[in-house]
Amino acid sequence: MSKNYNYAFLDEGSKREIRRATLKAVAIPGYQVPFGSRELPIGRGWGTGGIQLTLSLIGPGDVLKVIDQGSDESVNAVNIKKFVGLCTDIETTTETPEATLIQSRHRIPEIPLKNGQILIFQVPLPEPLRIVEAREEVTKKMHAEKDYAPLWLQLYESLIRYKKVTLASEYPCLVEGRYMMNPSPIPRFDNPKLHKAECLYLFGAGREKKIYAVPPYTDVVSLAFDDVPFEIESFGGKHCRLCGSTDTYLDEVFDQQSGKRFHQCSDTSYCRKLSSQKAQNRE
Amino acid sequence: MKTSLSKKHDFDAVFDSQKVYRLVLEALSHPTKVVSIQEHANKLQGSNPAYLALAMTLLDNEVSFNTCENRQLSDEISSLTHATRTVVEEADFIFVSEAGDWVAVIEHAQCGSLANPHSSATVIVQNKQNSGAPLNQLTFRGPGIDARATVLVTQTVKEILELRDAQCYEYPQGIDLIFVSDEGALFAIPRLVSFDGASQADDSFSFPPFLQALRSLFEEPSKLKEVE
Repeated sequence: MSKNYNYAFLDEGSKREIRRATLKAVAIPGYQVPFGSRELPIGRGWGTGGIQLTLSLIGPGDVLKVIDQGSDESVNAVNIKKFVGLCTDIETTTETPEATLIQSRHRIPEIPLKNGQILIFQVPLPEPLRIVEAREEVTKKMHAEKDYAPLWLQLYESLIRYKKVTLASEYPCLVEGRYMMNPSPIPRFDNPKLHKAECLYLFGAGREKKIYAVPPYTDVVSLAFDDVPFEIESFGGKHCRLCGSTDTYLDEVFDQQSGKRFHQCSDTSYCRKLSSQKAQNRE
Repeated sequence: MKTSLSKKHDFDAVFDSQKVYRLVLEALSHPTKVVSIQEHANKLQGSNPAYLALAMTLLDNEVSFNTCENRQLSDEISSLTHATRTVVEEADFIFVSEAGDWVAVIEHAQCGSLANPHSSATVIVQNKQNSGAPLNQLTFRGPGIDARATVLVTQTVKEILELRDAQCYEYPQGIDLIFVSDEGALFAIPRLVSFDGASQADDSFSFPPFLQALRSLFEEPSKLKEVE
């Protein structure tokens, strides 16, 4: 552990402010609590909100897992793990069930999270109403008045124009019947995992200076009309080329040399575990 | 002449604060769940170590607090955290240690606005269990609770929650409650958690076993003769 910095990098005053904001966020599920986002040794927009949440939470005894689009080995995930490791000395893992804290960019792991685990999202744009209203003061008022009509209208326009809802990610959802929330750019496939989950979900947007949360066992309902129900992505019978899974979120991989397209699990940890289990069974 | 400096307490501002914060977060995200901050509170000296542990974890010069009429606690929190003392109506954190103070606190604590519900008070109440006092069985529901949770609470907790509901806050406005005992047992009831079915618990809950025999004597004086 580097002795040149405070434990978990941030000074204690910064941690306290983030902690206070997080407690309010848990008390008001889905509400975006403003906070004074700190400077970090990485640029805003590269996961600073999630990192600040992680640094305010982490302590001796924690086990950290960091994923980027489901992958434990991507540059962003590896560097965040290294950074947190340098200033805390905590243990890191790639196994979802072993982790007490999981920081994620754009995915929820395939293995259901348990009570006591905390999933921290890196959020680029926390405001679900930004797509229909550019001014912060107006979106704040819209949340206060629970005025979500423009968002419903946008969904309706999408249905009229394209005969389906065309939002691939950042699909808005209503938290505990009150706040419209942007679940960060997770695919629609992951939206149902937010509903009545056992774990605590925390969302940190460093650039936009907002923290929000979904406590365990909270109603999180993806926006849908009575006659047009919410649908997750369909992979049309495709399976992972490595583990053969058909019920996971699949990434499409294009091989430039052969010109072929493959599909494989986005959650690398889950895929690796399943592949090794299958290999063991074959032996 | 040499002078030696010694710390007044052993509470680590980095590691103990982190542990206490995680316990409070656990309590707030699982309302009615009891966590213990005793291990960390014991490292502090003062009139109420559990309150001081919470203050050391959450307060600094950016926020304000009120301790009702408890001047000693106010001085201790102020010297440890440099938080600003203020009136109940404007305080971010309110520490209630005297029985009866909570009525004015619940009625006047800031509840935020519809646009800024986070600008509301967190009320921390000392949860004292008087031996022999009846407990109340309440059923809670809301975020953080799997369907519903039925727990036994003291009469004070029940009355505080009833008074909170009597304020008729329009959600998301409201106050968040943290109850903590002298022994550091802590549980939280955030604003969205509601309760119903207030009923007095069975006799077996209201009287500790060693008082059951004594109680039967009071309820049935005829038994007094048998004892004689």
